[in-house]
Amino acid sequence: MNFFQASIVKNRYVILLLLISLLYFTHDSAAQQTSVKKNRVITFEELSAKASGITWVHNNAHSPERYLPETVGAGCAFLDYDNDGWMDIYLVNSGPSDFYTPTAPLKNALYHNNHDGTFTDVTDKAGVAGGTFGMGVAVGDYDGDGFVDIYVTAYGRNILYHNNGNGTFTDVTTHAGVAAPGWSTCAVWFDYDNDGKLDLFVSSFVNYDKSAQNLYCTDETTKRRYYCVPRFFKPQPSHLFHNNGNGTFTDVSRESGIADYPGKSFGVVATDVNNDGLIDLFVANDTMPNFLFINKGHGKFEEEGLAAGVAFSENGKTRSGMGVDAADTDGDGWQDLFVANIDQEFFSLYHNQKDLTFTDEPGEIAPATQLLSGWGLKFFDYNNDGDPDLFLTNGHPDDLIEMRVSRVKYKEPLLLFENTGKGFRNVSAQSGAVFAKDFSGRGMAVGDFDNDGDLDVLISNNGEAPVLLRNEGGNRNNWLGLQLVATKSNPAAVGAVITWQAGGVKRSRLKTGGGSYLSSHDPREILGLGTATKVESVEIRWPSGKVDKLANLPINAYIKVVEGEGFVKSRSTSK
Amino acid sequence: MLTVLLKISVVTFSLMLLMQLNVFAQSDDLTKRLERAATLISENHEPEAERELAVILKSKPNEPLALNLLGTVRAKQGRLDEAESLFSRALRIDKEFVGAHKNLAYLYLLKGQPEKTVLELKEIVRLKPDDADASYKLAHLLFALGHLDDCINFIEANRQSHTPTVPLITLLGDAYQKKGSLEKAEESYLQALNAQSNDADALVGLAAVSQAKGDGKRAALYLARARESMTDAPDLLYRFAVAALRAEMFDDAKRALERAVELKPDEASYLVALGAVWLKKPDLFEAERVFRRALELQPEDAQAEMYLGYTLLKQKKLPEARGWLEKSTRKDAVPPETFYYLGLIAQEQNEDERAIELFEKAVRLLPSFSNAHIALGSTYLKLKNYARAQSELETGVKLKPDDTKAHYNLARLYAQLKDQRRAQEEMAIVEKLKSANNSGTQEGDVSAPSSPR
Repeated sequence: MNFFQASIVKNRYVILLLLISLLYFTHDSAAQQTSVKKNRVITFEELSAKASGITWVHNNAHSPERYLPETVGAGCAFLDYDNDGWMDIYLVNSGPSDFYTPTAPLKNALYHNNHDGTFTDVTDKAGVAGGTFGMGVAVGDYDGDGFVDIYVTAYGRNILYHNNGNGTFTDVTTHAGVAAPGWSTCAVWFDYDNDGKLDLFVSSFVNYDKSAQNLYCTDETTKRRYYCVPRFFKPQPSHLFHNNGNGTFTDVSRESGIADYPGKSFGVVATDVNNDGLIDLFVANDTMPNFLFINKGHGKFEEEGLAAGVAFSENGKTRSGMGVDAADTDGDGWQDLFVANIDQEFFSLYHNQKDLTFTDEPGEIAPATQLLSGWGLKFFDYNNDGDPDLFLTNGHPDDLIEMRVSRVKYKEPLLLFENTGKGFRNVSAQSGAVFAKDFSGRGMAVGDFDNDGDLDVLISNNGEAPVLLRNEGGNRNNWLGLQLVATKSNPAAVGAVITWQAGGVKRSRLKTGGGSYLSSHDPREILGLGTATKVESVEIRWPSGKVDKLANLPINAYIKVVEGEGFVKSRSTSK
Repeated sequence: MLTVLLKISVVTFSLMLLMQLNVFAQSDDLTKRLERAATLISENHEPEAERELAVILKSKPNEPLALNLLGTVRAKQGRLDEAESLFSRALRIDKEFVGAHKNLAYLYLLKGQPEKTVLELKEIVRLKPDDADASYKLAHLLFALGHLDDCINFIEANRQSHTPTVPLITLLGDAYQKKGSLEKAEESYLQALNAQSNDADALVGLAAVSQAKGDGKRAALYLARARESMTDAPDLLYRFAVAALRAEMFDDAKRALERAVELKPDEASYLVALGAVWLKKPDLFEAERVFRRALELQPEDAQAEMYLGYTLLKQKKLPEARGWLEKSTRKDAVPPETFYYLGLIAQEQNEDERAIELFEKAVRLLPSFSNAHIALGSTYLKLKNYARAQSELETGVKLKPDDTKAHYNLARLYAQLKDQRRAQEEMAIVEKLKSANNSGTQEGDVSAPSSPR
């Protein structure tokens, strides 16, 4: 018989534990209450296909052979192709290739905005259906005729659609010289030499064709094929095309230094990381170091990712870089960089140290994304409080991942992080039912399709219908929308620096090019004013060096600003 | 002291209620009453037992058996001081009353006075040298209290006069091993195996000795043998798992610990070890869950706090990681890793000066701590103090030539100094290490804590 009185000792622990738990609960509850009081809920509401009229569905050409291009696409865009002041939508689809013959013709889609929240498919009339195994889209007015053109990247042949200004487009790829054969992924229009014309950077992914060895990978246990990790394939150099100003381009990949760095490139963002007025490129690479191409002027770029600390993980490992973006997240006047990676690798928010070095400071974003794989992503001010927030689209590239790795899913949730001024806070759970759903997300574009002054989101899913999300409540704060019309600078005004003051707070934003993944965004800039009821000043420093100072501006309206002329006119909105 | 007490509590002591009542020249009536009181106590009818004993003590106030039994009642009621007084009174009357010594020994353990328990056990062994159970418990307690020399001397002396039991010889091996006398430890374990060829305790001990000698293969062989004869003894399962963890036999370690936890769900040290296994699998979420459970059971367990902090750091849950790691430093003997982890958190939170302080503290505690040198180097690199950065990174490389992080940071340093040739050389080393898969560093790895002790 024992009189082992463990219960005497244990009871003491139980009491202590209870006390500790109570202390913790009290603390949490107080913190939560404060947070709720401060927050005004803004949600993103999913529009059904019936409501929007967008019935198009992405076909990923999924096959038992699991050819890698199947899982990578595709992109989407907000663009105003007919200059009616309303954002239309372009969606990229797969198509015929050396490994895939569609049973029925596959088309990209151009949806015209009917100004009432619905869209009409005008693809055939516009002549932009594609016809190759499409990947991404970059929108820009390369010939400066006032109508945006569409560049579609693909596995196979890329297409440049010239906008004829009458609702139709013409394939001018061959004439323009921008086919960039191979496997292209992201593309961005920007003006690297500040000559006022939009040049074109096109990311190349791996060297891939049906005849290549290791075209597929097989699980030895299950004998099933899965999508190969890009490590199996050889890298390819990306392309830089210089705009000759006559409808043609010159491939300057080699002389610019871009071709010296073969990569397995996905996302690209054009921005100015060293504030020298020359636009640089940050390119995410999969299983290779990311590239930070610093524009040295005179048509030359130098790759400085290693020294900058943005090429590798903190341990010197390459990661699976996919989506990227850039923004001045902390208002210090310097562009910070973001790159999304695959699960277990963590996403990185690189804070600019102002000397061409960066430190990885993801804060709350890191633990929230540990099990996710990120593609489309964008910094934008969803609540119009003046600082950039962050929206992330996720999805694992391997549709069989759940059979092989626990806790990681093929379809993954969207994430929204609010910029608190001290970092980013995960507000997904309170931002709408759509954040509780999972998607095979890839491309993501941002634009105000209903012209109500807050930015909406378009997501293209791999092998599924796209998702259009309407921002509900972002315009409770005041705002001013700018449509920048360049006369001397590049038509997209990439590189323009907008500085505005409202309610005594001065903020500034550099207009970047590209960002996200395979996608293109509303070119207008919405300046968040918070609760300020007046815009005290707006200054636009154009890439040409011209400065326009604007005063007596309306609020909660879009205005057109012409380089050298200033504020021209305001447009009504749906608010 | 609490920790020691909990460890010792693995050894259970029996209350000697029915101490061969017939050996005393008691009247039949007294004997019957004592037997009835003992039965009532064993059936948890303390009030009735107390009434019975009151009758006895009224007529025989110095009856040691009755005093001992009343002491037992008081102990069961949680009135430990009164129990101690009654057991002591019984012993003042009859110094050689082994049952009262045993009860007192256990009582002192409950009161957190294990040194007094040792004295009582020594007295029992003196009175009854052939009491194998008491001998083992004494040796075990000495071992648990860290009195390794006393433990060894006691068992060795015991060996001269008695044929030692297998558990006692194995314990001797454990004591020698803990003292660092690996040869003698091995000798003891082998002797235990001679007596009982499949003794899992001895096999686990031999595996640990082999590991200490750097002979992983032999350790794995012993562990494989131990696995075959493993019993459902939680402590043995735990020790097997710790050795298996060191031998990177993660599945074996996991199985053993899961069984140990099943058998003793409230034993925090098992959960800490299980968490350490999950870290190796790796499944950070499961590790986090298990460490949190361990801390629920034992809120002040510094090792569990450190492990949980590390797990959260790996998940980049930095504020909470920092909280647990800082909590773990309030105890004595903080391992250098803890300061290193706290330094990494400070570094990520842009508190560079604090990060340097913490890394330096880790290096002061363990000058050969390569990761801390490398982290110092990377912090100095961030601060553009290239000379200090280079010096620390090179120290790191000297200590751990195959560390990719060190070479990567050196490459960054040279790239920032525009020395492209050396930058490329360092990156070439990184690439080479990666292809050879030498570094063993996983993404986000910050070098895991040592295996649980």
